[in-house]
Amino acid sequence: MEGVLTQLAAGFVGVFSPVNFAALAVGLVIGLLIALLPGLTLVMGVVLALPFTYKMDVTSAVILLTAMYVSGTYAGAWTSILFRVPGEPIDVPLLWDGYTMARNGQAAQALGWTLVAALVGGLVAATAMVGLSQPIAKIALTLSTPEYFAIIFFGLASVVSLGGASLANALISLFIGLLLATVGVDDTYGAHRFTFDVPLLADGIDYLVVMVGAYGLGEVFTRLERGFRSAPLESVGTARTRLPPLKEVLALKGTFARSSLLGLLIGIVPGAGATVASFLSYGTEAQYGRRRSQMGEGIPEGIVAPQTAATASVGGAMIPLMTMGIPGSGATAIILGAFLLHGLQPGPQVFQTSSHIVYTIFASVFVAVVGMCVIGYFAVRVMVRVLEFPEAIISAYVVMCCILGAFAARNNITDVWLLVVFGVLGYLAERFRFPVSPLVLGAILGPLAESTFMTTMISFGNDWTVFFTRPVAGAVMALALVALVLPLLRQLLHRRKMASR
Amino acid sequence: MPDAARLTRLVPYAVVAAGAAYLYSVAANIRYAARAGVLGPDFWPKAILALTLVVCAYKIVATLVPRRRGEEAGVLEDLIEESAAHRGGPAAAPAAESHLWLLLGGIALSAGYVWALPKLGFFTATVPYLAAFIALGGYRRWGVVAALSVLGTLLLLFFFMKVVYVSLPLGQEPFLQVTLLLMQLMGIR
Repeated sequence: MEGVLTQLAAGFVGVFSPVNFAALAVGLVIGLLIALLPGLTLVMGVVLALPFTYKMDVTSAVILLTAMYVSGTYAGAWTSILFRVPGEPIDVPLLWDGYTMARNGQAAQALGWTLVAALVGGLVAATAMVGLSQPIAKIALTLSTPEYFAIIFFGLASVVSLGGASLANALISLFIGLLLATVGVDDTYGAHRFTFDVPLLADGIDYLVVMVGAYGLGEVFTRLERGFRSAPLESVGTARTRLPPLKEVLALKGTFARSSLLGLLIGIVPGAGATVASFLSYGTEAQYGRRRSQMGEGIPEGIVAPQTAATASVGGAMIPLMTMGIPGSGATAIILGAFLLHGLQPGPQVFQTSSHIVYTIFASVFVAVVGMCVIGYFAVRVMVRVLEFPEAIISAYVVMCCILGAFAARNNITDVWLLVVFGVLGYLAERFRFPVSPLVLGAILGPLAESTFMTTMISFGNDWTVFFTRPVAGAVMALALVALVLPLLRQLLHRRKMASR
Repeated sequence: MPDAARLTRLVPYAVVAAGAAYLYSVAANIRYAARAGVLGPDFWPKAILALTLVVCAYKIVATLVPRRRGEEAGVLEDLIEESAAHRGGPAAAPAAESHLWLLLGGIALSAGYVWALPKLGFFTATVPYLAAFIALGGYRRWGVVAALSVLGTLLLLFFFMKVVYVSLPLGQEPFLQVTLLLMQLMGIR
């Protein structure tokens, strides 16, 4: 533990170097602005920022993207509370108590609770991230390909189970993503798969193009079809934050503890993320909280629960990324992309070979959490003015960032054509209620899933039962199957409940 | 559900199934030197495509055969619906008006831009594209549109070519000369 603290202290020194600190500050401000704008999600923001980090060194690049990820979970709450416009899906639960408090003339107090919740959730999860990462990395070193495949399978099962209006649609979306990952020259045989004599396809489809197209361009197309009509806002110039007294904060220590733990655990599960954390935490508080009967009437617990969990999920999501190289969410997939672009593969070995980078990034999460709260406290009034900016202009620049991001990855115009194709695909997915997250996660984890599966088959003589007979792999596969069956069970219980009424 | 609505719901699954069936035939013809006891490079894509076909077939049958029970939704969807039902919050936004021509215009504009980019070069293609996209989005203060398009493009050109060293498309003659002149003025080599 002493070694960890020493390295973390060195990490803090690294964060405050001029370049890293500038990257962090820029990341925080842009992350907050993106979270404020309806239609721009934190994942989109991180995606669009990636090409701007190409010439940075790996530490600064990851610090910038992580700062955007952290602050992206916070600022959307402001618009939920002040204007009943959630900046992100994460912020929908904040409408129920946050906006109600604001309507009761307590907007400043509601913003104060949001700030404290983000601070507590962020710091608790960051502490857990530092404490858990090294032991998990040590365990990860002992794992073999069947266990890695099981973990990836669990991630894919979770994203199917958690998201989307229909399990079947989520599965189809996932399969399309996995299939996209097979395009190109196969690693084992050198065989061309689905390349259709297009030279660039031989190198495969870059998952960044899939992400930028499906998340970025697809969302712009969806909003364009709706005519870029945003809800009219009341005056934005009166927003301010009033911090709650310490006594009131301490009175909610149970809510803070529950929500932090829930956010952390959900963040660790590949496939789940801040949105799931936010909803689940609100639901838990509404079911088990001390003042559960008053939830929805404008009480602080209704703000603290979702906000604490959403910010805590960031620290959780960084754990599988850093310790196993498995991105569990869209934002961590981009951060993985930034690592790989700079020639560094996250995973258990990175704790031995580049621990200074790991701990500088860890330290940056602490600084980012505090920094976003400081900026939020002093600049809320100025920052919400971004909402007065016409959406047509913002969207035009978002499209430009998408195009430049796709082009810059391989300096090839074919990637930009693919971007437009995935943009249309993203729009169609939204239109026909196919969730985009499984598609993207399938494209990201597909190569890893295939390589671990094929290596296992070669090593164990095509015996697929190995995924169930080895203790760790078997346990994780069982969890994955539970995740897949969960929606069916929930529906069965729901029908029984309805029938008994 | 009326027959027409049911058939409309089938379309995406039929399209995906047809695509999957075609790709399965492509995967079945992947050429490689087989090794004894080792799965070939066609195994993984064929497995994915087979699963896709199974799920599509299930959805097609489920849509055609009316049943009482609802759809198996993801857990998040359930949480949103349950929470919204309890709190009366706007989990699902009211149905927005659809402007299909705007969407088609946006897609055509973007496709046209990608087609023109290598020919016109980044600057000459991007200025009208940005202006047209902003105007298509409903913002019509032409002075602001022109300023944002020109200045924004110059800023992006400078940042990506001078700071990030991304070689943006220069274009073909005579547009190449425009790009080269701008690069010279900005000190980009």
